[in-house]
Amino acid sequence: MPTLTIDHIKVEVPEGATVLQAARQAGVKIPTLCYLDDVQSIGACRVCLVEVEGARTLVASCSQPASDGMVVKTNSGKVRDGRQMVVELLLSEHDGDCQTCGRSADCELRTLALDLGIGELRYKGEKTFKMIDDSTPALIRDTGKCISCRRCVTVCNEIQQVGGLFAQGRGFATLIGPAFSQNLSDVVCVQCGQCAAVCPVGAIQERNQIDEVWDALEDPTKTVIVQTAPAIRAALGECFEYPAGTLVTGKMVAALRRLGFDAVFDTDFTADLTIMEEGTELLGRLKKALVDGEQVALPQFSSCSPGWINYMEHFNPDMLGNLSTCKSPQQMFGAIAKTYYAEKIGVKPEDMVVVSVMPCTAKKYEAARPEMNDSGVQDVDIVLTTRELGALITQAGIDFRSLADEEMDAPLGISTGAADIFANTGGVMEAALRTAWEIVTQTPFPFPNLHVAPIEGLEGVKVATVKVEGAKGDWAFLEGADLKVAVAHGLGNAQKVIDQVKNGEAEYHFVEVMTCPGGCIGGGGQPRFTTNEVRKARMAAIYREDEGREVRKSHENAAVCALYEEYLGAPCGEISHRLLHTHYFEHDRV
Amino acid sequence: MADVRTNLLICTGGGCIASGALDVSEAMRAELATRELAGEVEVIETGCLGPCVQGPVALVYPDGVFYQNVHVEDVPELVEEHLLKGRIVERLVSHAPGTDKTQAEMNDIPFFNRQVKIVLRNSGIIDPLKIDEYIAREGYQALAKALTSMTPEAVAEEVLASGLRGRGGAGFPTGMKWRFAQQQDNDVKYIICNADEGDPGAFMDRSVLEGDPHSLIEGMVIGAYAIGAHQGYVYVRAEYPLAVERLEHALGQARELGLLGDDIMGTGFSFDLEIRMGSGAFVCGEETALMTSIEGHRGEPRPRPPFPAVSGLWGKPSVLNNVETFANIAPIILKGAAWYASTGTETSKGTKVFALGGNVQHTGLVEVPIGMQLGELIYEVGGGIPGGKDFKAAQLGGPSGGCIPKQHLNVPVDYATLQDLGAIMGSGGVIVMDEDTCMVDIARFFLEFTQEESCGKCPPCRVGTKRMLEIVDRICKGEGEEGDVERLIALGESIQQTSLCGLGQTAPNPVLSTIRHFRHEYEAHIKDHYCEAGVCATLFKARCSNACPASVNIPGFVSLVGEQRYEEALRLHRERNPLASICARVCFHPCESKCMRAGLDGALAIRHVKRHMVEQETDPVLPEIMVSEENAGRKVAIVGAGPAGLSAAFFLARLGYKPVVFEAEPKAGGMLVQAIPAYRLPRAELQREVDMIAAMGATFEYNKALGRDFTLQSLKDEGYEAVFVGVGAPQGMKIGVPGEDGPGVYDGLSFLKQYNIHGAGAVGRNVAVIGGGNAAIDAARSALRLGAESVKILYRRTRAQMPAWGEEIDAADLEGIEILTLVAPEEIVRDASGKVIGVLCKEMALGDYDKSGRRRPVAGHNPTFVVAADTVIAAIGQSLDASAIVDGTPLELNRWGYFEADPVTGGTSTDWVFSGGDATTGPSSVVEAIGAGERAAAGMDQFLTGANHAFWRRDIEPPVFFDPDLDPEEAPRHEVEELAVAARVTNFDEVELSWAAQVAVAEARRCLRCDYGKYGHKQGV
Repeated sequence: MPTLTIDHIKVEVPEGATVLQAARQAGVKIPTLCYLDDVQSIGACRVCLVEVEGARTLVASCSQPASDGMVVKTNSGKVRDGRQMVVELLLSEHDGDCQTCGRSADCELRTLALDLGIGELRYKGEKTFKMIDDSTPALIRDTGKCISCRRCVTVCNEIQQVGGLFAQGRGFATLIGPAFSQNLSDVVCVQCGQCAAVCPVGAIQERNQIDEVWDALEDPTKTVIVQTAPAIRAALGECFEYPAGTLVTGKMVAALRRLGFDAVFDTDFTADLTIMEEGTELLGRLKKALVDGEQVALPQFSSCSPGWINYMEHFNPDMLGNLSTCKSPQQMFGAIAKTYYAEKIGVKPEDMVVVSVMPCTAKKYEAARPEMNDSGVQDVDIVLTTRELGALITQAGIDFRSLADEEMDAPLGISTGAADIFANTGGVMEAALRTAWEIVTQTPFPFPNLHVAPIEGLEGVKVATVKVEGAKGDWAFLEGADLKVAVAHGLGNAQKVIDQVKNGEAEYHFVEVMTCPGGCIGGGGQPRFTTNEVRKARMAAIYREDEGREVRKSHENAAVCALYEEYLGAPCGEISHRLLHTHYFEHDRV
Repeated sequence: MADVRTNLLICTGGGCIASGALDVSEAMRAELATRELAGEVEVIETGCLGPCVQGPVALVYPDGVFYQNVHVEDVPELVEEHLLKGRIVERLVSHAPGTDKTQAEMNDIPFFNRQVKIVLRNSGIIDPLKIDEYIAREGYQALAKALTSMTPEAVAEEVLASGLRGRGGAGFPTGMKWRFAQQQDNDVKYIICNADEGDPGAFMDRSVLEGDPHSLIEGMVIGAYAIGAHQGYVYVRAEYPLAVERLEHALGQARELGLLGDDIMGTGFSFDLEIRMGSGAFVCGEETALMTSIEGHRGEPRPRPPFPAVSGLWGKPSVLNNVETFANIAPIILKGAAWYASTGTETSKGTKVFALGGNVQHTGLVEVPIGMQLGELIYEVGGGIPGGKDFKAAQLGGPSGGCIPKQHLNVPVDYATLQDLGAIMGSGGVIVMDEDTCMVDIARFFLEFTQEESCGKCPPCRVGTKRMLEIVDRICKGEGEEGDVERLIALGESIQQTSLCGLGQTAPNPVLSTIRHFRHEYEAHIKDHYCEAGVCATLFKARCSNACPASVNIPGFVSLVGEQRYEEALRLHRERNPLASICARVCFHPCESKCMRAGLDGALAIRHVKRHMVEQETDPVLPEIMVSEENAGRKVAIVGAGPAGLSAAFFLARLGYKPVVFEAEPKAGGMLVQAIPAYRLPRAELQREVDMIAAMGATFEYNKALGRDFTLQSLKDEGYEAVFVGVGAPQGMKIGVPGEDGPGVYDGLSFLKQYNIHGAGAVGRNVAVIGGGNAAIDAARSALRLGAESVKILYRRTRAQMPAWGEEIDAADLEGIEILTLVAPEEIVRDASGKVIGVLCKEMALGDYDKSGRRRPVAGHNPTFVVAADTVIAAIGQSLDASAIVDGTPLELNRWGYFEADPVTGGTSTDWVFSGGDATTGPSSVVEAIGAGERAAAGMDQFLTGANHAFWRRDIEPPVFFDPDLDPEEAPRHEVEELAVAARVTNFDEVELSWAAQVAVAEARRCLRCDYGKYGHKQGV
C-alpha cells in the first residue's frame, strides 16, 4: 500500500490508486473535466494537473499512479497557472453563448472557469468549427461547443460499443463526431443519449420539445394527456435539489396537473400490460419449441428499450426474430390511449395529444418511427426527457418542493410494483418472472419479498436459472424445466450476451436488455450527473416504490384486466397484436 | 562481392532515384554489355551514399573514385575513360570549394572523410537486396554471438555499457529501456521499431531501411532476445514504399535462412517480425501513440506511466526504438561496448546520422561522431552556405527542436549541449538557414506543422499551439501587438508544462528558441513592421526596397528607366534618397542580393541601372518642397557634410527649413570625398548633388570643426533650435605593433585623405596595406595609381572573409595587387636609420568560430617571415573620439563609443541634438547613413513642430505599364564593363564604364516587379 504526501497530508492508498483518488481520499479537491469515475481517466483535458516532485512537467492526476514516497502539490502557483491556462484555452475555442445555452445552469466548463477564478481571456482567436447536426429526432450536436474531452467518445465506443462518435481530423481542426463528418442520422447512432448525459457542456443535448408541449396545452381543441415512465419518479427530484434517490411520484403528478394536462397517467400501466403480452409471447415460444417442435427464435429478447432495438437493427439484424414483438410500454400506451381511452372519453384520436416523459432520448426517435401509428394517427406525439420536464415545471413557475402529493388518474394511471421496477436493470425480468411463475404454476412467486436477487444490481451481465416446479394445465410441459434468463445493461454488455448465444457458449430462454447502464434510471435523459452512486440510489428508490405497493404483480393489475376484458380480449390476441406488437427493420451498419 | 576487376556502385537512395539513378544504372549495364565488359565490371545498385544533392552519384571500387551528377549521357565517357582506360573523368568528380582542384577519391572529400559510419556502415556499399552481401560484411555475426554466447541480461548490459541513447529524439539510454522490459515477468513481450520518421526533411531511417534493411532486422532480433520478445513490429509510414518493399524482401530472406522465425540458428530462440504501415501522422513518433496505432486505433498518445516497458502494446511489456538505434546494435554486440564508447563525448557516445538540409552545399545524409563541432558539420562536412550568403542559424531536431545561431558554431553537437541552447538532437534533421531566412517565419512554419499534426487530444497542444500560431502569424503580417513576445513566451512555457505528450511539450520550442536568439527580429516585425530577411511579404512591396536602408522605391525607378522616363525615375529615387548619383557608384547595393531574379537568371544590376539614370541628368530637378515660413525662420544646424548630414539637410530643406551645414574639411562629402578615390566616385558627380542641396536652401560652412571652431552649446547659444551631429568615424585605428610609429607608416584614412583632399600623396616603391575592408582596397589601389611598383594587401583572415566588396577585391586583383591572406603583422621592421623595410608577419590559421560566425584567425605554427615594404598603410578600421567633440553637452555613448541615438528619430539623450550615420553606428555604408539622415530630419521636425510631416514616406505605385501574365523571358544580367587595366592604373579616371541606353533599358526591363499588385487596388497603366 503506497503512502504519499499530498499538500503536506500523508495518505496511504490501495495499490493501483491514482493520485486523484489519493487526493480525494485525503480530502483534497482536484478539479477534473474529462475524467469520469469508473469510465475514463485518459489524462486528456489536463485540468487535473498536479505537481509531482521530481517530474519534468506537470502531470494529470487522474492517470498518474500513486506511488510510495511521492510528494504531490495540488495547489502550487505552477499548478494554478497551468490549470488556468488550460481552461482559458478551452474557453478561447468554445462557442460561449452561455446566456442561451441549454447547459448554462450545469455547464462544467463554466463552473471550472468560475472555480479557477478566470477573469479574462488572454488568448483569443479562431473558434472551433461550428456545425449543428439536428438530423435525428433525439439528439442535437453543436460542434462549436465541443471541447473534445472525449467523454462521449469513450461512452459511445467502450460502454455502448456503438462507435458513432470519434475524434477526427488533426490539430485545431480535430472534431468529435460521426465518421467522415456525417450526420448522426446517417451512422449507427442508436440515440441512447449516453453522450448527452456525460457531455460537460452543451455540445450534445436532447432535442428540446418543451415548446411543443406548451403549444399543445394552449390548444383548446386538444385533449392533452401525459404518461410518465417508471424511472422519472426516482430522478425528477434531482432537478429540484433533492438528493439522488428521492421519490417524488406524488409531487410529479401534482405538477403535471398544474401544468394543465387533461389526465395524468402512468407508463407503469402499459408496463404491466407489457408483462402480460411479453410473458405470454415467451410462454408461447417455449411451447412451440418444447411441445410443438417448431423452429422458434430463442432466447427471446426484451424490447422495451428503444436504443437496444436500434442497436439490434444496426448490429445484429440476423437476430431480429429473437426480439419480442411487443412494443415498448411507451408505444403501447400511445396506442391504447388513442383507441381504448379515446373511445372511453369520446375524443377522436386526432384530437388527442399524448405526451410522454421518459428518462431516455431514444424514446423521441421511437415515438417518431413511422410504423408507430396503430391508432390511425401518431400514437405518441411528444416525448420529453426527465430534464425537460424539470425545465417545463421551472418555466411554469411551479414551486415543486412545496407541492402536495397527488394520485395518478384512472384507468391508465393504475399500476403495480412490477411496473415500477421496469426502471431498473433486471426489473423487466423480475416482473415477468413474478407473473409467468404464477400463470404457469398457479402458486405464489416463491422468491423472498418477490425479488430475484441474482438479477438485481450493477453487474454488467447477470444470469439466473429458475427451476419450474408445479407447472399446471397448458404449461405442464414446463414442469421441472430450468428456465435460464440473462440480464444485460449497457450495449457493450448486451453484445457479450449475444456473442455467447451466437457462439453457443450459453443458452438462455429470456434475456432482458437495457440500453443504458443501470437501466432506465441511468437513461440518457436523466438529470445530470449519473454516477454509479446515483444509479444505486435511484435503483433503491424504485425498489422502495415497488415494495410500498399493495399490488406488485402485473397480472393482478385490475385496470389491465379490465382492458383485456373490455377491449383487447386475451394477451397476444388479435387486437393486442394489432395495437401492441410491432416489427423490426434491418439497418446498414455504417 | 563477385570475382570481377571493378565494382561500380550506383546509389539508388531516394534522392538519387529521383535524379535518375535507375536510368543511369540501366544505361551503364547496356554500355558495359555493348563493350563486352559485363564480366569485368559489375554494376551494383546500393542504398544511399549520402550526398543527395549531387545525385545521381556513383563509386568505383577498388579505385575509390567518387562521381557525382552522373547522367545517362555521361555513361559512354565514364566507361571509355575510367573503366576501360583507367583515366578519371575530371568533370564528374568533386572539386575543393572555391578552387579548380579535383578531389576524385572519396577519401579526399571532406564530406566523406570526416564521417564515421557505424549505422550507415553498409549503406551505399552493398546491394540491399542481397543478404549475402550483408553477411559478407559481418552481418548476423552479432546475432550469432548474442544467441550462442551471451545471456539476455548480458546483451542488455552490453548495450547499456556502450552508452547508446535512443536516436529517435528523446535520447533515453537504450540498454536501460531493454533492462526494464527484460525484468518484466510476462510471457508475451513485444519489440517495436519506429520507422515512422515524420520530421520535415529527415530521411535517416528511410535510408537505412532502403540501403541496409538487415542491419535493422539483426538489431531487432538481438533486442528481442535481450528482453524476451517473440514478436516484433516495424511501424513504417506508407509514404516509404521502397523502404517497405526492401524490408519485406529482407524479412523473407532472413526467414529463409532461419534468422527469423522458429528456432533461430538452432538456438531454440524464436522471433518474428511484421511490418505495420502508418498513414503518416507525426504524433505516431510518440511511442504510446504508435502503439495505439498498431492496435488499430487512431494514433493518439496515452499518459505515461504506465511506461511501455511495463505495459505497452496490447498492455504487454514493449520496447520501442527507432531504426537508427537498432542499426547500432549489431556492431556494439560484435565489437563490444568499449569500442562503441570510444567514439563520441563523455556523455554522448557513438555517432549520429544527420540529414543536412536547407541552405547548405551538401544537402544529404551524413554520419559523424557525436560531439562534432556544429561549424565543422555545416562548413566542412556540409560544405558551407551556397551563394556566398552568411550562415544565420541551424534548426536541429525538426519541429520539436530549436535553432542554434551563428555565435554558437563552436558547440559540440551532443545531447546536453543542444539542450542547453534550447535545441534538441532529435532524430537528426539539420536545417541550415542563411541570412535570407526570417526567424519569425521559420518559427511560424514549424509551429504550423506541429499544430496541424497535433492529435487534438489535449487542449494545450490543440488550442495552445493554435493560439501561438495565430500570434506568430499576425506578427508575420505586421499586425503584431505590443506584448506579443511575452504572450508567446508565457503560452509556450505553459504548453511545455501542461501537454500530454512529447509533441505538445516540444511544439513551442521553435518559437521559444527563435525568441531566445532572435528576439530583435520579432520586435522589428512588431514595432517597425520590418522583416530584415525580406521574407514576410505583407510587410513590404518588394524585397529590394525592403533591403534598402533608405527605402528607395526600386521597382519604381527601375521600371521608369525601362521606359526611359529618366526624370520621373530620378524624382522617384530622390523621394527617399537624394544622393542618387553617388549611390550609383558606391552603394554596396544590399538590394541586389535580395533580388528575386537571382533565382532565375541573375540578380538585376540595380546599381548600374541607376548609373545610367543619373547620367541622363544635367541639372538636378529639385524635389517637391513644403513651403513653411515658420520652418524657414527656425535655425537648424547640421554638423558634418558626409552622406548622413547631406541627407538630413536635403530632407530638412524639403520641409522648408534652411539648414546650415558645418564641415570641418574644405569640401563636402565626408568619407565620400575624403576616403573614396575618384576612380570610384568622380568628384563632379558628388559636387552636383551637394549643389542641389544648396540650391534647396541649405548653407555650407567649410573648415568649421566641432570641438575646434564651435561647440554644440555655442550653436545653441546662437539660436539653433536643433542640431544634427553627423561627424562620422574619422579617426584611423592603429595596429598596435612595434615600429608602427614613425615615418613610412600611415593609417589608411589619413593616407586617402591626404591625396583626396589635398591632392598630394607620395608612396614608396613597395607598399604593404594591412586590412581587408574597402578602405584597405581603396588605399592599395590608390597607392598603385600613385606610382608604387608593388602593392601587397596583408589580411589576417581568408579571402572569403574579407569585408570588402567582392567586385573591389577582384578589381584589385586584376590591377596586380597581391593579396596575402591568413597573415598578421607582428612588427614594422625598420633599418638602423629608422626607414621602414618591411612587415614582420606570422602565418595565421583558422581556429574556432567567433560571434559573427567566422572562424577566428589564430597563430599558425610556421616561423615568422618578413614582407618587404618601404610604405605601410594600416587600414584596419576607423573610430570616433566622441568625448573630445561634445564638450560638455551630455550625450550618451553606446558601448562602442559612438553616440547613442534612437534608430527611428535619430534623437539622442539631449533632446535638441540628433545624430546618425557612422557617428552612431561606427563605420558603415553610405546608404545606411543616407537613411539615418532622412530619419533624423523627420525626427528633428517632429521635435520642432510636434508632428510628423515626412510627406515623402508614401508608397508610390510606379506609373508604368506591366503585364503580370507575361512570363519573364530568360535574360542574363548585363555585365558592367571596366576600363582596361593598363589604361586605369596610372590615373584616377572612373573605372566602371557606362552602359549604352539599350543595355540599360534591357536590364531595367528584367525587373520582375515583385511590388505589382501590392498597392491595395487594381493595377494598370
